[in-house]
Amino acid sequence: MSAFGAIFFREAGLAWAGGGGPAGPAAFFLGAITLAPLAIGPAADLLVAVGPGIMGFAALLSVLQSADRLFGDDHADGTAELYLLSGLSLPWLVLAKVMGQALATLWPLPVIGLLGAMMYGVPVLPACVGALALLAAIPALSLIAGFAGALAAGVRRSGLLIALIATPMMVPVLIFAAGAGRSALAGDERALANLLLTVAVSLGTTALAPFGIVAALRSRLG
Amino acid sequence: MLSYFSNPQRFDQLARALIPVFGVLAVLLLAVGVWLALLGSPPDYQQGETIRIMYVHVPAAYMAMALYAALAVASFVYFVWRHALADTAAEIIAPIGAVFTVLALFTGSLWGKPMWGTWWEWDARMTSVLVLLLVYLGYMALRAALEDTQQAARTGAVLAMAGIVNLVIVKFSVDWWSSLHQPASIIRLDGPTIHASQLWPLLVMILAYTCLAGWLVLYRLRSQAIRRRVRTLQRQGEQAARAREEAVS
Repeated sequence: MSAFGAIFFREAGLAWAGGGGPAGPAAFFLGAITLAPLAIGPAADLLVAVGPGIMGFAALLSVLQSADRLFGDDHADGTAELYLLSGLSLPWLVLAKVMGQALATLWPLPVIGLLGAMMYGVPVLPACVGALALLAAIPALSLIAGFAGALAAGVRRSGLLIALIATPMMVPVLIFAAGAGRSALAGDERALANLLLTVAVSLGTTALAPFGIVAALRSRLG
Repeated sequence: MLSYFSNPQRFDQLARALIPVFGVLAVLLLAVGVWLALLGSPPDYQQGETIRIMYVHVPAAYMAMALYAALAVASFVYFVWRHALADTAAEIIAPIGAVFTVLALFTGSLWGKPMWGTWWEWDARMTSVLVLLLVYLGYMALRAALEDTQQAARTGAVLAMAGIVNLVIVKFSVDWWSSLHQPASIIRLDGPTIHASQLWPLLVMILAYTCLAGWLVLYRLRSQAIRRRVRTLQRQGEQAARAREEAVS
């Protein structure tokens, strides 16, 4: 197994065993979508209209919720320094790391997004489109959270800082991912365009963000 | 030329010469611009007297974006050439840019009430300026959170450069987003279609704001450079005193 594969599985295993795996983000997501109708009110037509948007928004927040662990632990115990000294290609390394953790912790988001949308009264097809968009958004969301996490690694109360840094960067992903669900609900042909744009943003982030994360890690060491 | 003035002493001379020039220009242009905007220009045929808000709003929005561009360029220069002056520039541009962003949002809100009948409209431009404010705040918060000045400088530079890529994408995505739910009902200010009697006050005000920002940046840059030097001298003095004490004992 290559070094990147090893890092991928180590990260996934660590997140699963040590951090409760998907329990954290999933519980946060569930809590958020349970609270939203209590705040908005039980009017059925209103909940249908806001359903796809709330799903995208709550999924984004639950990704932020675990972002401080990704590079914060490595920064604290010196693993980050060892990574820099390892001689491996660093962008690939951080990509494997972020994707490993995303696989272990974020897979329930599209499932809960699908169920939640249907609980809000969204018909099955738009709910499925919304869930697909969430799935497509996960690489972008977790890489952006990783970038903010690498910048703020080891800072006291880093969660707050990560949220402030990552929020503006997640704007495009949120617009397209939630937009896919909303246009599908409206029976609009732009649902497919939004879905494809979500994939495009995710691919673009996958291409660029690893270099940003490496630059951020380097800037915090040495 | 950049490397010529990157010498701290030469920069200090340049700044000392330029600060009064920018200061006087800013005051004069603001005086002329405010007179032109409030008294010397006719009310708009559609918007009436409220058009005068434009003369303080548009330059502020322009400075908010121009200063972020300056922040990103300074960060790039620091990131590549590791020049301390560029980092100091980035550090002091951020709060000034954030203030112009707040001013743009505030005056935009005041203008929106009579024109659109609402203080805040989730239209593409206002939303992207709000995102710009968040980017400024995130940058300042990150710098403030890192105690080591070297780390703050490098990490801030990485964030500022990522921010400019992000802001471009945000601009396009927010345009797409607002086209999803809003008809094109907003009164737009297309550059060439603006009448000459309104264009002149606007141009004077833009120039005045630019001089004001240049003045503030240079002034703060110089005082920050002096502060850093004082700190270095204090540290050296303390070290020398400690060395003398050890020699005595």
